[in-house]
Amino acid sequence: MAAPAYPTWVTRWVSGQWRNKKRPPTLRPSRTLALADKVASRREQSTEATCITEMSVMMACWKQNDFNDAACAEEIRMFYDCVARTEKERKNQNEDTMSSRGSLPSSKVNKLLKRFPQMTRYV
Amino acid sequence: MAAPSAAGMGRRLRAWLPRIMPVRWSRYNPSYLEPEVKKESYQKPLEEQTEEEREQMELKAVRPIKAAPPTLSSSVFSDPMISKFTNMMMKSGNKVLARSLMSQTLEAIKRKQLEKYHKAPENEKETIECNPYVIFHQALKNCQPIIGLSNITKGGKTYQVPVPLTDNRKRFLAMKWLITECRENKHRRTLMPEKLSQELLLAFNNEGPVIKRKHVLHKMAEANRAYAHFRWW
Repeated sequence: MAAPAYPTWVTRWVSGQWRNKKRPPTLRPSRTLALADKVASRREQSTEATCITEMSVMMACWKQNDFNDAACAEEIRMFYDCVARTEKERKNQNEDTMSSRGSLPSSKVNKLLKRFPQMTRYV
Repeated sequence: MAAPSAAGMGRRLRAWLPRIMPVRWSRYNPSYLEPEVKKESYQKPLEEQTEEEREQMELKAVRPIKAAPPTLSSSVFSDPMISKFTNMMMKSGNKVLARSLMSQTLEAIKRKQLEKYHKAPENEKETIECNPYVIFHQALKNCQPIIGLSNITKGGKTYQVPVPLTDNRKRFLAMKWLITECRENKHRRTLMPEKLSQELLLAFNNEGPVIKRKHVLHKMAEANRAYAHFRWW
């Protein structure tokens, strides 16, 4: 006897596709569900401007003495000292990894993650 | 078995060398040391040298040394600031002309000061400075700005923010202002040594257009001091 030509839905129903055995996937991830080797870049919190007090003192002295540098030599020297100090601090700080605000900046985190990437294959 | 593999290893390990070895350029292997030009450091006897100097001398025997640039000189008459100024005055690589202009400027300064010296009464003779190098250095120092302005964009608008300057930047600005002042704001037929010597003498006495330009910059910085917080360094 020839195979009886049932409608398609009958075949599918009989095969049990509509039960829990085969359902369309509830989750369709566009990317692989794995941690990436980089972190999203965060807006780095801006540090404050340095040496503002010395600068304002120097400018006040300038205003009084009509921008004469010889009269304001002491204030100018203090300003230069402050600038040199902040330059040195910034140079020393760059070698440290921890920022003053607690967490690492995203660029440094990315560098570390690149050195130790996620295992994609079983070795 | 070992011999052919060793030969293959040697050929693979040897670094690629270009056919023409560049000699006087700026990118060297970190093991290259700086050249020592001062004669005094070589004439010191061994006992007077400190530990670091002795170590340096020993290191020189084993490490290669960078080629000395043509601007580096061991002569007592060479001055790095004057060389820098000459290089900034130079146009299209004509170092000969720039150097001759510089020496003529120094000569002109000396002549003017000597004239003043001989005309001055006895009690004022000590106050007149005749050394052109001293005058040059002091004039440059007087022309250096103390604080600069930089453009910082915030919220779509660009502000002129007062900013501290590095030493190199100050020196560069002082030299640049002097040279542009001489080139642009003088009569067409005056020669450069004459203009430069005049400007340098004025700057030495804290007068003149270059000092005025420095004061204008300071005034603008003082007017914009409210924006100083826009800096983030």
